[in-house]
Amino acid sequence: MGTAKQTGPSSGGRDRPDATASALPVELRSVSKSFAGIKVVSNVSFDIRPGEVHALMGENGAGKSTLIKIMAGLHQADEGEILVNGKAVKFASPKDAHAAGIATVHQELLLFPELTVAENIFLGQTPKTGAGLIDWATMRRKARDLLNSLDSHDLDIDQKVASLSVGNRQRIEIARALAQDARVLIMDEPTAALAEADVQRLMAIVRNLCARGVAIIYVSHRMPEIFALANRVTVLRDGQHVGTRPVTEVDEAKLVSMMVGRSIDRLYPAKQGTDGDVILELKDVSHNRVVRNVSLALRRGEILGLAGLVGSGRTETALTIFGITPATSGEILIDGKVTPIASPEAARDLGIAYVPEDRGQQGLIKAQTIEENIALANLKRLMRGFFVDARRVTDEAAKAIARFGIRARGPKQVVRQLSGGNQQKVVLGKWLATNPRILIMDEPTRGIDVGAKAEIHLLMRKLAGEGMAILMISSELPEVLGMSDRVLVMSGGTVTAEFTKAEATAEAVGAEMTRTRTPEIAA
Amino acid sequence: MMSARLLRHETILAVLTVIALFVLAMLSDKFFTGENLLNQGRLMSEVGLVALAMTFVIVTGGIDLSVGSILGLTAILLGVFWKYLGLPLPAAIVLAMACGTFAGWVNGWIITRFNVPPLIATLATLALYRGLAEGISEARSVRGYPEWFFFFGQGEVLGVPFQLWILGIATVIAAVILGLTPFGRATYAIGANEVAARFSGIRVNATKLWIYSAAGFLSALAAVIFVSRVTTTRSDMGTGLELDVITGVVLGGTSIFGGRGTIIGTVLGLILIQALKNGLALSGVKGDGTIVVIGLVLIGAILVGALFDRNRGG
Amino acid sequence: MSASASIAPPGRSAFQRFLSGYGQEIVVFLSIIFLFVVVGAINPRFLSDTNINSIFAGNAYIAVAAIGMSMIIMAGHIDVSVGALIGVIATIAGTLAVNGYPVWIAWLVPIIFSMAVNAGVGALVAYTRIPSIVVTLGMLSILKGGLISATAGAWITNMPAEFMIAQMRPFGIPSAVYFMVALTILASFFIKYTDFGRSIYAVGGNMEAARAAGINPERVVVGVFALHGFFAGVAGILFATQLQVIQSTVPPNLELTVITASVIGGVSILGGTGTVIGSTLAAILFACIGSALIFLNVSAYWLRAVLGLMILATVLADMARRRRAK
Repeated sequence: MGTAKQTGPSSGGRDRPDATASALPVELRSVSKSFAGIKVVSNVSFDIRPGEVHALMGENGAGKSTLIKIMAGLHQADEGEILVNGKAVKFASPKDAHAAGIATVHQELLLFPELTVAENIFLGQTPKTGAGLIDWATMRRKARDLLNSLDSHDLDIDQKVASLSVGNRQRIEIARALAQDARVLIMDEPTAALAEADVQRLMAIVRNLCARGVAIIYVSHRMPEIFALANRVTVLRDGQHVGTRPVTEVDEAKLVSMMVGRSIDRLYPAKQGTDGDVILELKDVSHNRVVRNVSLALRRGEILGLAGLVGSGRTETALTIFGITPATSGEILIDGKVTPIASPEAARDLGIAYVPEDRGQQGLIKAQTIEENIALANLKRLMRGFFVDARRVTDEAAKAIARFGIRARGPKQVVRQLSGGNQQKVVLGKWLATNPRILIMDEPTRGIDVGAKAEIHLLMRKLAGEGMAILMISSELPEVLGMSDRVLVMSGGTVTAEFTKAEATAEAVGAEMTRTRTPEIAA
Repeated sequence: MMSARLLRHETILAVLTVIALFVLAMLSDKFFTGENLLNQGRLMSEVGLVALAMTFVIVTGGIDLSVGSILGLTAILLGVFWKYLGLPLPAAIVLAMACGTFAGWVNGWIITRFNVPPLIATLATLALYRGLAEGISEARSVRGYPEWFFFFGQGEVLGVPFQLWILGIATVIAAVILGLTPFGRATYAIGANEVAARFSGIRVNATKLWIYSAAGFLSALAAVIFVSRVTTTRSDMGTGLELDVITGVVLGGTSIFGGRGTIIGTVLGLILIQALKNGLALSGVKGDGTIVVIGLVLIGAILVGALFDRNRGG
Repeated sequence: MSASASIAPPGRSAFQRFLSGYGQEIVVFLSIIFLFVVVGAINPRFLSDTNINSIFAGNAYIAVAAIGMSMIIMAGHIDVSVGALIGVIATIAGTLAVNGYPVWIAWLVPIIFSMAVNAGVGALVAYTRIPSIVVTLGMLSILKGGLISATAGAWITNMPAEFMIAQMRPFGIPSAVYFMVALTILASFFIKYTDFGRSIYAVGGNMEAARAAGINPERVVVGVFALHGFFAGVAGILFATQLQVIQSTVPPNLELTVITASVIGGVSILGGTGTVIGSTLAAILFACIGSALIFLNVSAYWLRAVLGLMILATVLADMARRRRAK
């Protein structure tokens, strides 16, 4: 991500001549959609030209996903019409959308783990023999050709998808779209879970597709990618169409203000207070082969940023500190004393809190209420005799709702119904209620809209100012640079560099992140 | 919010139970007599005890198919320890129950240590424990227990069958643990999202081990009561028990996917089943016709619950 | 697996694909061979025609039922009522035959009945989202209770000779074996070479993804249950006609034997994977073990304990393999 940032508008597939209006692969006219009486998409019109990358931006809840699903045939528009090649169409199911040449690469990749690569590419439209049976020979040959055309010669078409990496799975989804002769490819946050090398590869593939005349609808939060790839940008806010602009006519600040409806002048709050003593120290800590001889020190009142690519060992280090995957060698010191941490329970009782990267799976029980979630890490404290004190559970949740400004009907609202930002605040509320001294935050603002993001950043600063030691892991370089008092870079399971706030520039940290030190890990 | 939904299911169930009791009382004048009801309670106790533990198991998102086999194995061991090894009967009882509890612990150990899906793990131990019971007993039954032993299955305290007291006490304990203690909260959390529970510092594996061991213990307790009630020990005792138990629990509103369920619901489910069995038998439906009704009630109750959920937009 | 994966060739040889695709099946097959060799060496009577006949012909109906069960589990569901269904089918078939209906009616009507019942179960599972274990638990009660109360446990005897299809021996081999082999091959072929067959894996592996790929998962689930009904129906006919009497009760533990055969044959209980060849081999393996114990003078009382240990060992090995794969 760091290196991609500066490439600028030199990339290919940009200066494509405008197509004539009748050949537009997709045009939306005044499309609206409501759920349970609430208008989620309201009167949106824009068009896609052949061979262009059309970025679709907006905060979470702005209506991007719904719009994509309408184009993919998963939802039907209440009002307005969709035109394909100038003709109005109605998509009753994804099948209809496929038939019209619109394919989607979903955010959570929709593949079948126990089927082979070739089958995944052709599922739903397998080549048949004269007798109507699946023609495996043709299918395998075609799959091979398709992957070769995407420069993915290394993918084994007979391998089951279960054992493949995210980047490889994404390539299979793209190949599947091509197998459907897609003329429009919708990519929903394609780089959200990718390692840097895979991001570069994806961008090359996107340019390759554009050169063939495939139009791409590219949904992403990541500005560098938008500026590196897109020809035009469409911004949504609260279901409304704010505007569609050529990418050359906007800049980052302009896009942000279009998305949030106001300009955010100071994204990152300044440091408060000074650093205290070292509270947590790791000495040559390892866990199997994923964490290797990690040494670091964390002080009271500081935010220590942990940068690195996905798979570099950042999250794995956090899991080791938190006792999920206890250290297999090395020492963890708390307040200067050697303290083995064998379980999350032990870590919590030592005053360590971990706000995990996967909010839905690891952070919250979405089917339970706010108060049940907050109580879960604090059960021992909320007891009266042998029993859980229901009133104190409710009080604790009410306190958290007030303190963090969680927008909810009350402590008994089910967490599933909250927005991403408010869900993240519930996770924070749960852990801050344990009165931790060390707070580990893994991707603290992933999938959160710009407004809530700023609130969480402000809160982190405030906590640090009050003496909390914060270890922050983030894949967003601007966040790492903007929030951290110090930055450690990890690669191949170990810490490879340390930067002070002054030294930590995008170029320096980005270069350090992408330098592969231990190639044997990749094998 | 969640408890409101649970209460709703239990309300439906309670109303259903009352209607069933009323209709059955109309159909047969023998049904609503104290003697008959107490006797039904006696018959319900064994399934009921196991169902209490099964509620915990299913709330964690698991299942235990081996409870009937644990019952059979405990019964056989009880007989063998006493008759063939010559242990004093009280010692034989304690030792056999310890073995039954251990069998439950083994289930939990396989499930937590090796990550085996509970359905599969307990399918395997269902065959294994029943097989051990058959192998050890070699189809010999044990009889001739001393008179005092029959008190557990046939005796009365204050006019109420002894095992009904046991069931009552166990029910209260189970309801309190599931509803009011951190252990209960952990049980629900594990069923709703095991990963998040672990990341919140809940001791997931320890909790599950306790629960599966408790299922073993209560199955063993049911075995002692069963042997005492029928005065003999056979290796096929408890065959099919798991289905009765699971039916009761699921009918009681516990979600088979985990995360939801209450002891009160389970007890209501058990009462409804037992009342139907007995009432229909009294009103002249042949013995096995009642099983059909139970199957229909199970599917019907879940169906209604599912439609309710959908209408609420959940 | 490890060798071929690390080299990562663009396409593997047919032999490599065979090895990686049928790992579990090969293990089960080798176990059968091993049993025959070892037990045959210890007690040659194990290899006698009569015994081999009874192993294969006597258990063919379990293998046939396991084919349908495998598909159900591949699609991410389960059916605990199959034993009761087989009992009901056998009784219906026997009753029709004894009451003078043409044999083809006595064979076909129960199969159609079985498909209809299971299609209904499938529809309940697919459209109301009630878990299949709950629905089939209810069906188990209904079928079991219905059967016993309808027949009062009476035995059916004096069935016409031409009805006894499982006892016919074209070319000296019991016809039940033909059914087992033919249906296994047919089902494998169906799963491998038709869109419906592949969509079973797709629905079992990732239901929402299947929907997005244009598959109608509900229809697939209903179809799979109906197919399972067909196999259970055939199994019921074989079961009804292999002996001179039909006991008109639910064969004890049959559903567990069938489910176990599927699981040991390599069908993951988590859905989305497995083959029917494996389940048939596993059913044969079970029968062999049962017979082998007798010929090794191990008390038949220990048979089930051995089976239980086997299931446990297979499952643990499977979990270990999965963990290593990750």
